[in-house]
Amino acid sequence: MTPSMSPGPVYVTRKFTFSAAHRYWQPRWSAEENTRAFGSLTVTHGHNYVLEVTLVGPVDPITGMVMDLAELKRVVGDTVIQRFDHADLNADPLFAGGQIPTTENLVRGLWDLLAPKLGGDRLHRLRLWEDPTFHVEYLGP
Amino acid sequence: MSGFRLTRAYHFSAGHRLASAALSEAENERVYGQCYRPHGHNYVVEVTLAGALDPVTEMAADLGALDAAVRRVLLERVDHYDLSSAVPALEGVITTGENLARTFWDWLAGALPPGSLERVAVIETANNSFEYRGETSRSPR
Repeated sequence: MTPSMSPGPVYVTRKFTFSAAHRYWQPRWSAEENTRAFGSLTVTHGHNYVLEVTLVGPVDPITGMVMDLAELKRVVGDTVIQRFDHADLNADPLFAGGQIPTTENLVRGLWDLLAPKLGGDRLHRLRLWEDPTFHVEYLGP
Repeated sequence: MSGFRLTRAYHFSAGHRLASAALSEAENERVYGQCYRPHGHNYVVEVTLAGALDPVTEMAADLGALDAAVRRVLLERVDHYDLSSAVPALEGVITTGENLARTFWDWLAGALPPGSLERVAVIETANNSFEYRGETSRSPR
């Protein structure tokens, strides 16, 4: 039998990568205002994004796991990677309202896509790296 | 006031396979997939201590004492062993990252100054990590 072990939740993090294009453009502003606010970001460019998905939950006493990581890979693959890898973020329905695909908006959008599939209670944190020097964390609404 | 959190990283290499005594061979293969096969990892363990600044040493934790404790209760037990068969203290433990994080917590908590252990993270690969923070239940968001 499994020996006794500290009870309580464990945080599980898995990393995913996708590459996507975007540009920052506020349609309510003039070209000059956009350039002043966003500079070179107004030109379409791209990033190798790294998404860290952290789940929290009790450890299943039979399997010793919080969640089957192969299943997590399937969910994130189907929901995020297939949709956003080698895609133009500005053309995605997520930003159809003219929202700017900042890292903040993207990580929040990814949360809204993933939370219903993983469970808002089990999804603890998304950390989205735009490049190795900059990331944004979102802990849910 | 605790104030500071110090994290130190350690490495060990070990073999393991994921298999639950509660499951049949077919179920084990289905649940654990390729992790059911004997394999191994270069593990990284991060140990985080919380503490106040010692007025004499002006350190919040004695890293020399931490190193010695981690070497004695953890690294010497697991480095270059098969976690699933050759470590008596892990007998009966399914050596998932979740269970290793909780077990290492239990080993370390007894060897470190009371109340100082804040977090144990088991980084199994560059993409997977597992954290235990000593919580006995999940505090509501």
